[in-house]
Amino acid sequence: MEGMVEVSNSIRRTSCEGPESRREDAGATRIAQGGVGLPSRRSMLCSCAACLAGGAMWRAMPVMAEDTSATGELSGPKLKGVIRHKAMFWEPTHKESEVKCLLCPRECKVVDLERGYCGVRENQGGQYQTLVYGALCSANLDPIEKKPLFHYLPGSSAFSIATAGCNLECRFCQNWEISQFRPEQVESVEVRPERLVELVKARECPTIAYTYSEPTISYEYVHDTAALARQAGIGSVIISNGYMQEKPLRQLCRHLTAVKIDFKAFSQDFYAEMCSASLEPVLNTFKTLKNIGIWFELVVLIIPTKNDSADEIRQMSDWILKNLGPDVPVHFTRFSPTYRVKNLPPTPAATLDRCRKTALETGLHYVYVGNLPSHPGENTYCHQCKAELIRRVGYRIAANAVKEGKCPKCGTAIPGVWSQTQALAFKPRETRAEGAATTRPA
Amino acid sequence: MPESFNRRQMLSRIGGAACGLAVSGSLVPGSDSAPAGKPRPRVVIARDEAVTGGKMEGHRELLRRMLDASMQKLTGQADAKAAWRKLFKSGDRVGIKVNTLGLATQPVVVDAVVAGLRSADVPAENIIIWDRFDSELTAAGYKLNRSKTGVQCYGTDAESYGSGYQKEVETSGRIGSCFSKIVAEQVDALICVPILKDHPFAGVTLGMKNFFGAIHNPNKYHEQHCDPYVADVVEHRFIRPRWRLTVCDGTRGQYNAGPVRNPGFAWSLGGMIVGTDFVAVDAVGADLLEQQRQAKGMRTLAEEKRPPVHIKTAGARGLGVADMAAIERVEI
Repeated sequence: MEGMVEVSNSIRRTSCEGPESRREDAGATRIAQGGVGLPSRRSMLCSCAACLAGGAMWRAMPVMAEDTSATGELSGPKLKGVIRHKAMFWEPTHKESEVKCLLCPRECKVVDLERGYCGVRENQGGQYQTLVYGALCSANLDPIEKKPLFHYLPGSSAFSIATAGCNLECRFCQNWEISQFRPEQVESVEVRPERLVELVKARECPTIAYTYSEPTISYEYVHDTAALARQAGIGSVIISNGYMQEKPLRQLCRHLTAVKIDFKAFSQDFYAEMCSASLEPVLNTFKTLKNIGIWFELVVLIIPTKNDSADEIRQMSDWILKNLGPDVPVHFTRFSPTYRVKNLPPTPAATLDRCRKTALETGLHYVYVGNLPSHPGENTYCHQCKAELIRRVGYRIAANAVKEGKCPKCGTAIPGVWSQTQALAFKPRETRAEGAATTRPA
Repeated sequence: MPESFNRRQMLSRIGGAACGLAVSGSLVPGSDSAPAGKPRPRVVIARDEAVTGGKMEGHRELLRRMLDASMQKLTGQADAKAAWRKLFKSGDRVGIKVNTLGLATQPVVVDAVVAGLRSADVPAENIIIWDRFDSELTAAGYKLNRSKTGVQCYGTDAESYGSGYQKEVETSGRIGSCFSKIVAEQVDALICVPILKDHPFAGVTLGMKNFFGAIHNPNKYHEQHCDPYVADVVEHRFIRPRWRLTVCDGTRGQYNAGPVRNPGFAWSLGGMIVGTDFVAVDAVGADLLEQQRQAKGMRTLAEEKRPPVHIKTAGARGLGVADMAAIERVEI
């Protein structure tokens, strides 16, 4: 279970998959200057609870153990200062030395020596630079289920990495200790794209996951690494908040093989109040992804009293069905108090059950609950005949009956990416998504 | 977006309001003026034509005399030592927050502040000159010192890992930030020594905005003209109760295109702006900067859609007085 082992190579205090979506304690990924670190209290509790929950089942089933030693090669001297690399997607403004960032919907205007909202892109004399190119602050070998991507190479591993910073400020971020800090405030090691691909290839890992913090703002590194990885037969997935402009998203998807987006809520007020962001650009991202044709899944972290109303879940499900179709997997996951939201309880299981039921009733085919190990809602069922296809226990696959992407019982095609060949064969459609032309928040 | 307060802030505000009632007999919520019956906060503007030119080092003694005179005028004391002692005592641990991003606080102005503190018998070791980064302090001409002897000088980000920020997030209004350990743990008193300059979002960056350098994530709080985030930061328990004096460096300023150095819009007020009411000092500084813009035929900050609303917000919250008519402005 994650959190059991902390290795010296992996870097600062990170915790969960996606900044807030799913409890993935990459506390396993802390770099302690030499030697093996101690597990955090949370990691230990998580691990113990999971072990108890799993019980004797673990011994009987074939499991894909997490291999944190896989990231051992990343050990090295901690980075001093920041790495400077030319940024993509920006333009000068009419004001001297001022630039406008065109990467995310914020479109920050940044004067000389200042940084954008994300804190990782800086104006140096009218030239915009990224400060996180290859500055990895977290690295782990994770099950793909931890992202979570349930319809993408189930049971496989993903070499998961992160750099500091985020372009949102979610009050409930599980990984705020890296996502809400600037690069020089977080311990990092430099790993160039070529080296990372070599390492992943040597481990025979099929996928690189850009995760834990926000890959949008390490765009240049993700872009270059994913392109190299593809050439080496390795897929790339991003675990993102979806707060990216359409043009960079389309360009990036040429090199990606899947995407997971955190859908914070179906409410502008929630996005504004809890994330300092806007809903509309995220909806546009979904439409763009649908239009591109890349495999993607959605995760909704359900926070008691904030985004869990029956009406909101129904409206959200309706919107997904209408705009994205019934086959996009939706994960309703359990919130745990953290960062700036410590006054609310963990999400009751009954609430997640209710959300899942609503979404299924709406017509969505693949709806899951998350952060509830061994809950039947973590399994995949054929939407046609309801046969159990994939049984999960936590992040592990207990059984997988999907054969060549089909239900073995009724032969229905199950949407998803079921082989590395299929993953690497993906090519994006280049047409513009309807209604996705404008990504700037109102 | 509704403003949120924690229990401590709410109690603090209620307490402040109650005190205001007791003093003035009336309470006007949202007023940015000095409460009736209370003396107007005094802000001293010290100028000398000589300071506007030449090398700053050559003005060392003059600046010290100007600051001492300002302190006397501010406190009403007959001599400078007594004036400094009115605000600081020998056991104080004093943090001097400078601004070293772009156009930086002049070290000689800070030296004058240090001399004043020393005259009040504050030990040199108890004085910390600080900002965000070692690198920016060095670039601005400050000599780093962590030796535990003499005046200390270092950045919060003195080390790349650990960074010198507290591990726990502090909430104040809408901000959620880790504060510099320097301000949170190492000092009991604060002197803010900003520089008089323009800012592309906040309109001006003076004393209050300077404390964005005390939090780990200022990049998150530049939207909406940095408002109400500036007021949120300075209202925090680590700042407001400790902030005793502002000495705004007006020897070199920037009336447009700040906060970086831009020779096309460089300007010297020829001295400094000194006060204990940090909102009032900022209000006076912003007014002087606007006057300079007007003199140069430029549009007002409001017309440029970057009004310094954070000053008004701070005034409305009762952190100080933002209304120029309610400030006693003294020129020496």
